[in-house]
Amino acid sequence: MKLAFHLAYKNLMGAGLRTWLNAGVLSFAFVVIIFYNGLIDGWNQQAKTDGINWEYGHGHLINDNYDVYDAFSIQDGNGELSEAQQENLTPVLIQQGNLYPNGRMMSIRIKGIDPNQKVLLLPTQLLNNSKVEIPVIIGKRMSESAKVKTGDEFLLRWRDKNGTYDAATVTVVGIFETNVPFIDGGQIWMSIDKLRELSLLKDRTTYFVANEQYEYAAIPGWRFENQEYLMREQTKLINAKKAGGSIFYVILMTLGLLVIFDTQVLSIFRRQKEIGTYIALGMTRWQVVRMFTAEGAMYSIFATILGAIYGIPIMWYLSKTGLSFGTDGGEMGIIMSETLYPVYGIGLILGTIFIVVLSATIVSFLPARKIARMNPVEALKGKIS
Amino acid sequence: MSEKIIITEKLVKRFPVGDGEFTALNDINLTFDKGEFSGIIGPSGSGKTTLLNILGSLDSPTEGTATVLGHKISSLSHKGAAQLRNMHIGFIFQVYNLLPVYTVFENVEFALVLQNRSASERKKEVMQALEWVGLENMANKKPSKLSGGEGQRVAIARAMVKRPDLVLADEPTANLDAKNAHAILQTMKKLNEELKTTFLFSTHDEKVMAYMNRLIHF
Repeated sequence: MKLAFHLAYKNLMGAGLRTWLNAGVLSFAFVVIIFYNGLIDGWNQQAKTDGINWEYGHGHLINDNYDVYDAFSIQDGNGELSEAQQENLTPVLIQQGNLYPNGRMMSIRIKGIDPNQKVLLLPTQLLNNSKVEIPVIIGKRMSESAKVKTGDEFLLRWRDKNGTYDAATVTVVGIFETNVPFIDGGQIWMSIDKLRELSLLKDRTTYFVANEQYEYAAIPGWRFENQEYLMREQTKLINAKKAGGSIFYVILMTLGLLVIFDTQVLSIFRRQKEIGTYIALGMTRWQVVRMFTAEGAMYSIFATILGAIYGIPIMWYLSKTGLSFGTDGGEMGIIMSETLYPVYGIGLILGTIFIVVLSATIVSFLPARKIARMNPVEALKGKIS
Repeated sequence: MSEKIIITEKLVKRFPVGDGEFTALNDINLTFDKGEFSGIIGPSGSGKTTLLNILGSLDSPTEGTATVLGHKISSLSHKGAAQLRNMHIGFIFQVYNLLPVYTVFENVEFALVLQNRSASERKKEVMQALEWVGLENMANKKPSKLSGGEGQRVAIARAMVKRPDLVLADEPTANLDAKNAHAILQTMKKLNEELKTTFLFSTHDEKVMAYMNRLIHF
């Protein structure tokens, strides 16, 4: 095998530009596969980190009557837990309400949270520091859709537990920016104590956000959803993107491998005399097959080297500056920042190299098998068609 | 008593042509002694090259036997035939058949690479072979930079570098002018005398015939 690679290397280097053109095409597929997968992995990592930091924490303990997809469950989907049961949990109460910014009406969710919480990145400390009667914080998307800014006041109307409507003026004390649309659009955040007071739902909670120390023990009337479960839709979407992307790089790989296959077929036809000479000089036919297969496999090794030469600087640069898409995923209801930072894992790189080398070896071997059936006399005459 | 290194008995070679067959060799009975410098002469299509191919274990007879260096050609496996060529037989072709991407040195070295010789041994043997043919200063040139005569001398060096028992030369001067043809033949004759290598030529060139110790007419 060492001989096959030694001879293959000499042949490929001797072939000059043709070798580098083939390696170049394959290296492009190689770099694109790593870059695309790196981008998806980067998105996945960013979405997970943002989701955990801004919304999911280390899981949600949710009241059984609350269904996130059912607006009618909001009013009564809450319950009480003892002080002891609330250890390592941050309570969140959700109620429905209407907002009247600049004379318009918007249907929203009012979310109450402990202003002293540390488990999420929400700037809830702003709710503590304010001197206004009902301070609220909102997300950037909400501020844009409601056309309000920090310091603006507007009317909030809600219904208490008895079904009685009430209204009050609230003041925006902070606008936060997040990639997680589920805690931003169509909602406002206030102190949970204030929301409990407004809605007459003393000590009630819709769901709790768990911190790292929380250990779930079954509580009747409540269900625990862990990070993986809460992230399931996002994970599904990312997996679907990955699968969709694989079609793209299968096409690219096929093009690269077709180039090698064509080169091998042409090479075996064009180099018949050379093959005959190898056999006349004492090589066995299978040694020649191995040499031609090694040539094909070596294209992939050259492609890896070539891809590394121009791919590493480009991919390193993009991993630092990120790739801006001009819009975040909020409008599509997914966790995706405006700028994605590709992440290139060692598994991704080694896996891609393995696939490229293996595929190139196979597509080189297929035409090279013909050599094993060649008549060396005919090959020496260059008469095999 | 001289050592017989080639024996053919009732050798027949037929090739399929259309629905029928073409008989290239018919009942050939020959023996060659070690150290011979012999030529098989005859017109084109008379079967000279076919005989050399069989003796070089590149082809096998349809009937009869060909025994080369004690090996019955028709009984050899692909691997056995390759081994025989690798260790004992050198080929010189009409069109040189040099490997285009290799340098002169690497072309000559190739036979020794196949024998798994060490790099230092290869270098020594290759340089000596190039000295035999007077090309020691062209070791780093590519075949495309050589003249016809130089190319054929590289082919001779490649055939001789492994010091084979038998060299089969198929029309080695057919593409050379008279001056180069004589130079090549003188080189081969010298190697035949110095190394006692058996040379078997196929030719219809009278210049070549003049150098032969024995001529076999086909």
